[in-house]
Amino acid sequence: MQNTSLQFRNQVTIKLADARLQDALSRLQSRFVEGRSAVISEIADLEEARTAAATIRDRVINNLEHWLVHFEQQATACGAIVHWAETGADVNRIVAGIAAQHGVKTAAKSKSMVSEECGLNDALELAGVKVMETDLGEYILQLAKEAPSHIVAPVVHKNKEEISDLFAEKHHLPRKTGIAELCREAREVLRPAFLNADMGISGANFLVAETGSALIVTNEGNGRLVTTLPRVHVAITGIEKVVPTLEDVTTLLRLLPRSATGQSITNYVSVLTGKKNAEDHDGPEHFHIILLDNGRSSLVGSEMQEMLRCIRCGACMNHCPVYQNIGGHAYGWVYPGPMGSILTPLLGGIEKSPDLPNASTFCGACAAVCPVKIPLPDLLRKLREKQLQRGMKSWQETFLLKVWAWLALHPTIYAIATRIGVRLIRMMGGKEKLLHTLPGAGGWTDGRDFPAPSGKTFRELHKRGAGQ
Amino acid sequence: MRIGLFVTCLVDSMRPRIGFAAIKLLEAAGCKVVVPKLQTCCGQPGYNSGDRKSAEALALKFLAEFESFDYVVVPSGSCAGMIRVHYPSLFKDDPALLTRFTALGQRTCELTDFLANVAKPGKMPGNFQGTLTYHDSCSGLRELDVYKQPRALLTAMPGVTINEMVESTTCCGFGGTFSVKYGELSTRMADNKCQHIADTHADAIVGGDLGCLLNIEGRLRRNGDHATRVLHVAEVLSGLDEEA
Amino acid sequence: MNAREKILSKIRSAQTQSSAPVTSAHLAQHPRGPLPPAPTDLVACFKERALKLSSDVLETHSRAEVPTLLARYLRGKNLPVSGVCWPSLAGLPWSAAGLDMPSRPAKNSDLVGVTGAFCAIAETGTLMMLSGPDTPATTSLLPETHVAVLDPRRIVATMEDAWDLLRKEFKQPPRAVNFISGPSRTADIEQTVTLGAHGPYRVLLILASL
Repeated sequence: MQNTSLQFRNQVTIKLADARLQDALSRLQSRFVEGRSAVISEIADLEEARTAAATIRDRVINNLEHWLVHFEQQATACGAIVHWAETGADVNRIVAGIAAQHGVKTAAKSKSMVSEECGLNDALELAGVKVMETDLGEYILQLAKEAPSHIVAPVVHKNKEEISDLFAEKHHLPRKTGIAELCREAREVLRPAFLNADMGISGANFLVAETGSALIVTNEGNGRLVTTLPRVHVAITGIEKVVPTLEDVTTLLRLLPRSATGQSITNYVSVLTGKKNAEDHDGPEHFHIILLDNGRSSLVGSEMQEMLRCIRCGACMNHCPVYQNIGGHAYGWVYPGPMGSILTPLLGGIEKSPDLPNASTFCGACAAVCPVKIPLPDLLRKLREKQLQRGMKSWQETFLLKVWAWLALHPTIYAIATRIGVRLIRMMGGKEKLLHTLPGAGGWTDGRDFPAPSGKTFRELHKRGAGQ
Repeated sequence: MRIGLFVTCLVDSMRPRIGFAAIKLLEAAGCKVVVPKLQTCCGQPGYNSGDRKSAEALALKFLAEFESFDYVVVPSGSCAGMIRVHYPSLFKDDPALLTRFTALGQRTCELTDFLANVAKPGKMPGNFQGTLTYHDSCSGLRELDVYKQPRALLTAMPGVTINEMVESTTCCGFGGTFSVKYGELSTRMADNKCQHIADTHADAIVGGDLGCLLNIEGRLRRNGDHATRVLHVAEVLSGLDEEA
Repeated sequence: MNAREKILSKIRSAQTQSSAPVTSAHLAQHPRGPLPPAPTDLVACFKERALKLSSDVLETHSRAEVPTLLARYLRGKNLPVSGVCWPSLAGLPWSAAGLDMPSRPAKNSDLVGVTGAFCAIAETGTLMMLSGPDTPATTSLLPETHVAVLDPRRIVATMEDAWDLLRKEFKQPPRAVNFISGPSRTADIEQTVTLGAHGPYRVLLILASL
C-alpha cells in the first residue's frame, strides 16, 4: 500500500470536516472503548496479565532467531512450506509463484494487514489471479476501492447507507437497508467464492513455535472457510508474530479479543498445523507460510524494539483522542493511530512521515490499554528526538526550543523576559482579558481565544512579599 | 514538613494566583513552604519536542534547587509527572543520578495528591458555592494516579456539588506545543471537551493543570460562553477563586 | 545469501542476548500464564458462557434422546429436518425422530450439520474441534445450523486444560484445531453485532450425559 502520510495535515482538515466520518467515528466510544471496559474486568488481575503478555513477547524478540528457526523446523516437519520475504514485493512474487505452480485462477482471502503492506491483491491481479476479499469489511473496501481505516474494523469509517448504496450498485440486486439483510446478501454473494477458490490467503495473528502452527482469530467464519476448502492455503505474517508455546498463545488470546473488540474470545480461533492428510476430507493439499521482514528486523536490539511486541489488537487507536477525531485514513498507510504513528515512520522511513510522531498530546490513553505494555508515548518521543537530531524540525521550532531552554537555564534573564512578555500579552488582551489573535500562534487563535495572563509573574509578586 | 513549592512556568507567567493558592493550602495544612527563587521550567516542552539535552540540563538545575526538601509540591500533574516519571528515565544510565532523581521523584507530588494523601488537612479554606465539573488532566491521571484526590477534597466542601462530565478523562487537546502545531485538531478536541462540560450545566470547570484550563477557557470564550468559570482546583480549595 | 539468511543474520547481529537453552527449557515446561479463578461448576459455567455468546443449549441424560430434542428444536424454529452428521453420531435414532441425517461431510446445500466435539471450555463457552477423517470440518462450517453433541464430562475449565488434553491424547496437533464460540458474527457495519456472517447462523449445544 502506498504511504501517503506526508499528506497528514491536509487530511486532518478534510477528515475533521467530513460529517459522515465524524458520525461513524462517534461509535468508537461505545463499541470499542466501553466494549473493552466491560470485558476486561473478567481478567482477575489485569496488570499481571499484561505483564505476562509483555514478557512472552519480549522472550521471543530477545531470541527471535531461535524462535523463528524452531517454528520453521516444526512447521516444515508437519508438511508446511515456509518462505522468507525481505520486502512486500518479495511476498507478492512468492505468492504469485505459488499460484502459478498450482494453476491458481481465483483466490479467497481473509483479512491480512501484512498483505496490505505488500499491496498483494494488486500484484496478484496483474499475475492473472482474481482475488476475493471475504472479511465483510475488507470485501466492502474491495468494492469501494478504498484502503482500511482501522486494523480490526476496516470500514469503521463507513455508515450503513454508504454500504447499502455500494451493494446495490455492485451486486445489481435490490437495495437492502437493514444491517442483517446486508450481511445476508454478502454471505450469499461470497459463498461461491469460498467454494470455488483454488487458493485461500490469510494472515496469521500468531505463529506457535512449539507446534509449527499458524493461528488465526476471526468472527465471521471466512477465516475457517479459506483455510479449509481451497486446495492451496497461503498464510502471510510478520516475523515478529512467533510465540513460543500453546500456553503462551493462550495467555495472549485472553487479552487480544478483549482489547480489540470487547469479546471474551473471538468466535473462531483456528490453529493450523501442516497440510491435509490422505484420509482427511478437507484441508489444503499445500500449506505455505510466508514470513515477512519489511524492516522489522532493524527494530530488533534497537531502542524501538518494544514496538515489536504489538499483537495488532487496535486498542490504542480505539482509545486515542486524535484517532477518534480523524479516523484512520489520515495516517496514510496500513497502520493508523498510535501504533501506526510509530510503525509507519519505522518501516516506511521517518522522512516520509514528518507529522505522525508529532500529532499526539502524549495523553497516554494508548499505553494504558496496550495489552503488551508498549510505552507508545515514549516511542513517539524517541521518534521526535530522531527528527531533531536529523534536522527534520522546522528552523522556527528548533530556534524557539533553544531560546526557551536557554532562558530557563538562566533564571535572572528568564525573570526579566517573562515580566516583559506577560505585560505585553496582558496589554494585548485589553479589557476583555482575552486575545483573539496572537502573532506566531495562529494554530491556537484560529480556533480559540487566548486568556490573557494576569500581567505580573508569580516570582515577582512573591518576591515583593505575599499578596497578589 | 518542609515543602519546596514548584509553581511551574505556566502558573508563574499566566496565573500567579494559583501559586499563592497552593501556598495558602499548604500552610493551612501545617507545612512550612519555601519557594526556591530561581525556579523556571521543568523542561517538559523541550523534552516532548525531542530535546533530551535541554531536559537533562533543566533536570539537573531542578535537582540542585529542590533536592533538600522533605517534599516537592507542584500544582500541575504534567510537571509533577515530568519530575517523578521522566527525570529518572533521563538518567537511567547514570546510577548515582538515577538514585537521586528516583528519590526526589518519590518525594514530588501533585498538589491534590499531596493534600489528600500526605498532608491530610482539615477543612478547606475555600467557600465555593455551586456546581462544578472536573477535568482529569492526562499526566496527572495516568502517570500519577490523580483521580480520587481532587474529588475527595472538593466534595468535602459543603457548598460544592460535582456534576461529572462524560469522558472527563479524555484529553482536552492541549498537549503543549501540539496546541499550536496541530491547531485544528487541538481545537476540535477542545471543542469536544467544551461540549461535555456544557452538558453538565456546571457553574465551573475545574482542573489541576493550567495548560488544560487555558485551552478549555480559550475555546469556551471563542464559542461565546463567558459564563462558565474556569478554575484551578487550588483556587477553589483555597478560596482565592473569590477574588476578582 | 538468500532471503532467509539475510533476515536471520540481520537479527543475529542485532541480538544482544541469545540462548538456545532458554528456548528448550521453556518449550519443555510450557508454563501457563495467569489463569482466571477456576469455576466451581464447570457445566454451569460453560452453559452460562455459551448462552451469553448466543448459542442455544439443551440438556439430556440420554444420548438416545438427542434426535428427539433436535427435531423439536428444528421444528420450533421452522428449520429443515434434514442435515448431515459425523460418523460418531450415525448410530443415534435419527429417522425415528423424523430426521434425515446421513453421515457424510457437509456440502454447501446441507443446512444442518451435527457434530461432536473434542472437548469444551467452560471459561468462554467454547467448543474445541479437531480435524480428521471422522470429524469433517465442513459439517460445523457450511450449514446454517450447527449442532454439537457434547459429553459434559469433556468440559474443561480453560483453554490451557484443553491443550493438556490434546497433548495427552495426541502425539501432535491435527491439521486444524478450531475453537468455536457461538454462531458466526460480524460487526463491520456500523459496529452493530449481527449473527450469521459466513459461518453458521445458529449453534445448538446438546449436553448429553450417559
